Amino acid sequence: MRDFAERLIAYETRRNRSSATKTPVACLVIEKLRPQLATLMGNIGFRALLSRTLALANPEFPWLRAVQVKAEGSLEGLDELGTQVDPDDVFEGCAVLLAQMLGLLVAFIGEDLTLRLVREVWPKLSLNNLDVGKGDR
Amino acid sequence: MKNRKRNPAKKQAVSQRTKVTIHKLPTGVRGLDDILGGGIPEFSFNIIAGTPGCGKTTLAHQIVFANATARKPALYFTVLGEPALKMLRYQQQYSFFDESKLGKAIRFINLSDVVLEKDLDAVLEEIIREVTATNPGVVVVDSFRTVVRKAMASASELEMQSFIQRLAQFLTSWEATSFLVGEYTVDEMRDNPLFTVADGLFWLSQVAERNSVVRKLQIYKLRGVASVPGLHTIRISDDGMQAFSRTLGLIGQKSKPSRRRRLSVGIPELDKMMGGGVLEGDSLLIAGPSGTGKSALATQFIAEGLRKGEPGIMAIFEERPKGYTDRADSFGLNLRTPQEKGKLEILYLRPLDLSVDETMQEILDAIKRVGAKRLVIDSLVGFEMALAPGFRTDFRESLYRMIAALTGAGVTVLSTVEVEDKFTEMSFSHYTISFLTDDIIRLRYVEIDGQLRKIMVVIKMRGGNHSKDIREYVITDKGVVVIHPRTTEYDGLTTGIPRRTGPRLAQKEEAAPEPKAKSKEKRPLH
Repeated sequence: MRDFAERLIAYETRRNRSSATKTPVACLVIEKLRPQLATLMGNIGFRALLSRTLALANPEFPWLRAVQVKAEGSLEGLDELGTQVDPDDVFEGCAVLLAQMLGLLVAFIGEDLTLRLVREVWPKLSLNNLDVGKGDR
Repeated sequence: MKNRKRNPAKKQAVSQRTKVTIHKLPTGVRGLDDILGGGIPEFSFNIIAGTPGCGKTTLAHQIVFANATARKPALYFTVLGEPALKMLRYQQQYSFFDESKLGKAIRFINLSDVVLEKDLDAVLEEIIREVTATNPGVVVVDSFRTVVRKAMASASELEMQSFIQRLAQFLTSWEATSFLVGEYTVDEMRDNPLFTVADGLFWLSQVAERNSVVRKLQIYKLRGVASVPGLHTIRISDDGMQAFSRTLGLIGQKSKPSRRRRLSVGIPELDKMMGGGVLEGDSLLIAGPSGTGKSALATQFIAEGLRKGEPGIMAIFEERPKGYTDRADSFGLNLRTPQEKGKLEILYLRPLDLSVDETMQEILDAIKRVGAKRLVIDSLVGFEMALAPGFRTDFRESLYRMIAALTGAGVTVLSTVEVEDKFTEMSFSHYTISFLTDDIIRLRYVEIDGQLRKIMVVIKMRGGNHSKDIREYVITDKGVVVIHPRTTEYDGLTTGIPRRTGPRLAQKEEAAPEPKAKSKEKRPLH
């Protein structure tokens, strides 16, 4: 699942080269997935999915406890981390967060439907030879 | 006025030109289009209702997957029912679920937030926005009941009625065939504007009886088409829902030929007793106690048909198929080659929770596959036992429908039924089934000269005259063989304990008169 997440991050990084945003790219990917998933499962459903994702990533990155899911489904608290957490660690934590979310989707609706949902957001993204692994998050 | 005579032909032509053609959408549910009179009327506003677990969502999904295309997509609005992720998780297990359709042809849209946070107008607005943007051919709201429940907490009945009216009018105007899925009970139908507005009402139910669950579908109404009334059995399997029409899809089948042939049953003397054989397209019942050769006779009937180039089906419920092929072998009849060539199928139907309609559907499918002209049902008692208890009450009615339809289409049906021999009378069957048979042959044991022998008599031949003789028969290595002319030295044969009225005929003592059907396998020596 990490490979899947990294491909999305790499793709989105290329597209955001000129952007000055400090938000980790993995979180931008999650943010881009949000409308697609909220259409399918509603805001409530998306919030539940993201909360579970945070809970799964927490043990590996305890600083994620400071991050919350807002009412509309976006993440809050990342910017406030400031200098308390190493930026590389934040980058890594967000990548794991994305991998966990993709892993949950694959566990619930399977690889085919998950890839289909992702392709709807990034139609030109190449997902050839992707090994999502079963339940490997 | 004198010159204004109406021309009926012209009037008919005008009315034909002006009548709108209602196109019908396939449901994707096997058997359901037959029940609906061809399919779901295009642009209709329908309700799929029933208690939880009946298959409402599965039915809606099947309809959606059967009709959605990229050019004419389907919108599936989900509302506070089964979470979308779980719905997709479970529904993709069905074979009809084509994931390539998701996204472009089928779009799932969750309305839960709108329903929870806003009012009916906002819900309608959201539906209108999506429908206008997508121009779908099919729209589903699942579950609509939750929309109503939430709305009724704050809106008046009039507002609710207005919402339903606007929704129905909008979806129809946009040329969408729509389905509102909801958990309703029959009592809720009364005074509910939703059911008044709806063009179609699909009611699903499930009833537990002893250890079996029976699912049923009823089409309460369907404007614009003539659907088949009554309760139809449905089953949900890996392929999704399958419906079993009460007509078994046999309406409009070709009728039996006007000039019917006499078919040999494979026993020349019995053919003679029947006036030359059984009439093509007749239903023949062989009734007799255990061991009298009903299955042997049925085997000979099928084998004779195969010999004459008439494919056949044996639907068996007691003995295993190998028993039939072994028996045939021992009679010098070959059932294996026709099976290999697809001219004969032996259907062994023994699960104990079958519905009568799906059993019959299996038989009908097999008949269609091999182009069967002859069908054996061995036996009716076994058939009934194989059914779930809840279906046994429907057994006779369903059997009647199937036999009537099959014989109507020219298939000749031989059924066997086990009856207990009473030594005071001769009953035909514990069923009141003579109404569904054209011809009845009764087999029974009689005690004669210190032996338990077998006799047969043709009780009834609807298609003509038949022999009234009571004939003795034996089961040899040729199968059932009728021996001796009619017996005149006894009376009371039908009681099983006849009284001698004439001299005892000289006869040699028999050692083992009736060798049993033998398997070709060598038996161990003891």
